[in-house]
Amino acid sequence: MYKLIIITSLMIASSYFSCYPQEKTKITFLGWPDPGGGFEEVISDFEKENPDIDVEMIKGPTSTDTRETMYVTSFLAGEATYDMVFMDIIWVPKFAKQGWLIPLDGWFKEERKEFLPGDIQGSIYQGKIYRVPLQSDAGVLYYRKDLLEKEGFMPPQTWDELIKISQKLQNPPHLWGFVFQGKQYEGLVCNFLEILWSFGGDIFDKKGNLILNSPQGVQALEFMYKLIHTYKITPEGVTTYEEEETRHIFQEGRTIFCRNWPYMWKLTQEENSPVKNKVGIIRIPHKEGKNSFSTLGGWGFGISKFSKNKSACIKFIKYITSYQAQKKLHLKSGIVPTRKALFSDEEILKLNPHYPDLYQILLSAKPRPVHPEYAQISDILKRFIHKVLLGELSPKTALDKAELKIKKVLKE
Amino acid sequence: MPKSFDEQKFGLLLILPSFILLGLVALYPILRNLILSFTENDQFIGIKNFILLFQDERFKSSLFNTLLFCLISVPLQLFLGLVFALILQQRFFTRGFVRTSVFLPWALPTAVMAVAWKWIFNDTYGVFNDILLRLQIIKEPLAWLGKPDLAFFCIILAEVWKCTPFVTVILLAGLQSIPPELYEAISVDGANTLQRFRLITLPLLRPFLLVALVFRTIQALGVFDSIWVLTGGGPGGSTEPISLYVYDTVFRYLKFSYGSTMVIFSFILSLIFVFIFYKFWGDRQIEY
Amino acid sequence: MSTKKYRFSPIIYGLTQISFYLLVIFIVILHLAPFLWQVICSLKNVDEIYSLPLKYIPSKISLSAYRDLISNPLFLRYLLNSILISLSTTFFCLLLASLSGYALSRLSLRFKTFFQFLLLIACLFPQIIFLVPLYELMANLKLINKPLALVLPYVTFSLPLAVWVMTGFFQTIPKEIEEQAIIDGFSRLKILTKIILPLSRPALATCAILIFIGPFAWNEFLFSLSFMIKDTSRTVPVGIALLSGASMYEMPWNKICAACVLTTLPLIIFVIIFQKRIIEGLTRGALK
Repeated sequence: MYKLIIITSLMIASSYFSCYPQEKTKITFLGWPDPGGGFEEVISDFEKENPDIDVEMIKGPTSTDTRETMYVTSFLAGEATYDMVFMDIIWVPKFAKQGWLIPLDGWFKEERKEFLPGDIQGSIYQGKIYRVPLQSDAGVLYYRKDLLEKEGFMPPQTWDELIKISQKLQNPPHLWGFVFQGKQYEGLVCNFLEILWSFGGDIFDKKGNLILNSPQGVQALEFMYKLIHTYKITPEGVTTYEEEETRHIFQEGRTIFCRNWPYMWKLTQEENSPVKNKVGIIRIPHKEGKNSFSTLGGWGFGISKFSKNKSACIKFIKYITSYQAQKKLHLKSGIVPTRKALFSDEEILKLNPHYPDLYQILLSAKPRPVHPEYAQISDILKRFIHKVLLGELSPKTALDKAELKIKKVLKE
Repeated sequence: MPKSFDEQKFGLLLILPSFILLGLVALYPILRNLILSFTENDQFIGIKNFILLFQDERFKSSLFNTLLFCLISVPLQLFLGLVFALILQQRFFTRGFVRTSVFLPWALPTAVMAVAWKWIFNDTYGVFNDILLRLQIIKEPLAWLGKPDLAFFCIILAEVWKCTPFVTVILLAGLQSIPPELYEAISVDGANTLQRFRLITLPLLRPFLLVALVFRTIQALGVFDSIWVLTGGGPGGSTEPISLYVYDTVFRYLKFSYGSTMVIFSFILSLIFVFIFYKFWGDRQIEY
Repeated sequence: MSTKKYRFSPIIYGLTQISFYLLVIFIVILHLAPFLWQVICSLKNVDEIYSLPLKYIPSKISLSAYRDLISNPLFLRYLLNSILISLSTTFFCLLLASLSGYALSRLSLRFKTFFQFLLLIACLFPQIIFLVPLYELMANLKLINKPLALVLPYVTFSLPLAVWVMTGFFQTIPKEIEEQAIIDGFSRLKILTKIILPLSRPALATCAILIFIGPFAWNEFLFSLSFMIKDTSRTVPVGIALLSGASMYEMPWNKICAACVLTTLPLIIFVIIFQKRIIEGLTRGALK
């Protein structure tokens, strides 16, 4: 009887400690839920070509912040839970500063010019590159082609044109003029930056000085406030909207213009979409005499300092960011590519006739300030922009206060 | 009772496993945080972090939000919990079903229900606005999660809905532990319902009320999940509690020592509350 | 407590009864409404969820959300994991809490105050701060992705409340019973297992409910998300958070609602079972 117990315990114990001789190298990363299954397919293709490497994509939650916490937790513990880091463009400076990523300059030099410039710029910290961009993303303006054509309007280039068209065609609350993401979250900062840039302002200048609190900054904030309260082309509820809320409003045909990310296109063209074939995409408008810039989003791969299989990671990253793999990811999961050449690919163009326009927009898209304390700066901006939208603070006061706080953060 | 050495040994043995678990899982991280709060980048800097804390506007605002949140939601929960417990104590048809329904909000996963509440409070597609509009209580849809005061109302509603069952369960157990003979005895003396409640029920419920009060307050001070999902601390930071600011500080700004400072402060705050509660309502022997 | 009979008017009695039942119905609706909305939404088709005006009864009942979920073997795995972990947590916590509670209520020990202090501080700190040190610990013990990584912290953090409930309850058991047993020659251990524990069923049942559906078992999200990284090790709240729609930003509401409904079924069953035992244990009368 005792012998049985001893043997069983030994077996259980050994199952904990046994290690099979490692034939395969295993590398993991934390990705998103992979709708469309594009990642799965590319991974299995890679594994077929590299039978000695096993790639595991751990599907994380949709929430970006949650996935960031998961990465940060494992880094803080010094764990090699994730070999590769599938990261948002705004994580790069933060993680790089902490020393959690290894520079990729060694093997990622010449290839860079094949990629969109904004994506590359956002992957560099203090002169070294830490991320190979895989998915590109930039804010665009969706509009109802049919409604504009009926009245003979051309798609707006300037904000004044957009206001004019909206005021003429809208019928609130059944049909609004313009919706954007105005909730207090990262999306708000993306929207604000586009408007700020379109008025000729910026947060930092080329030398890194804080120029947020400028006449252009005030004009930009004033403009956002006026959209709701003076021109009245945007509903008050905009202060609670994220991407999906604006998409539903646009897709249900209750707004003429909608600022959103490229992902919305495919969904608005689906079978049961009320706005199928009625949608156009153009650049974000700008102030008369200025230029328009979209905020750059997007994801890419870096390598964790703690990984024990760095060379396998390099192989995989090279593979998944290659022309063929990016094409597959696009066709299966709708991922916007980062390689310039793919925007002239015939197959892709057939499916997405708006891609040449999108390409131009992406070429001129700007990343958010590439700064390790960006998270704090962004949080300060979010609060104050939101207060202005709610009418709690005047634009000038908000910028004065925000400037003070950001300066404090920069000093640390 | 002779307090023998064996009794000591036995007692120690009984609490040993809990002791070890607590030491390993709870104490070690706390000590680590304590040490961290006095350092910056691995250098000892004394109480500098604490001084910074008291000058931090965002911290003061989150402290205010947290305290306000507790001050409103906890008494509400205690009151409602008591009412529900009293009702559930009566014998009536379908009591079992009613009891199960009353426990339900506590049973649902917080984060998931918060997502549901977000949907319910949506200004365009939300049920809340829809019902209020139909009942003509409001004329236009309100942006519940978009205005500071309304958003605060929402987080309190979600919290009270979720946590009152906890109070109900504890108070119900308390009510059940009151010997019915006491009620019979006082009825014989001619007391009415209100007097019975005041002279017997409330005093005997006191230890249970205390437990409910302490636990609910502590959990309310540390509230995180539901607010993170529901409002993310917005609008304009008006619903941001301390724990959300701690989360941002540690996981998004990567300022670990400052985060530990906030945590230690939060702990001291909770300690103060517990101390006050015990001082005023604690451990008095009930004479039968 | 039985309802009083009014000797002078059957009409007033009837009215009292009716208003009582109306109150009960109102209470049930309050508690169930958000959940019922979940059920309704889970039966809608995806497009119907975003259509205005809001439909309270889906025009056609669609079970597609449920079909998707049940046919997903991963989701069933999440359910299994949650059940396993929550049951283990409840069992071990009850065990440790009973032992510790008994020691605290009866025996005087040298470390009693320190132990109580440990329990207190374990619940006075916001959950967030334990995340990274515990992750480190679990990684060092090679417990990542294993159920034990969650059971250990869950039991630890559920202990304070459980110990309080059990201690409080043990204190209401008259010492005479034990004194008699000692005179009769029972050992301390036998007293505990053969006399005290059986008498404690109602408290144990209350405790079990509080633990199982509390913040550190079934519904827990943060630790589960961080320690259970492999798909097959995840628990249900995390599983629900992972449900995604056709695009990155989309929230498939009908699936989320269906998942919510499905995941509360074990909880409801659990509560129903234990709810009966509470009544059973309590109608056995006072502990004389």
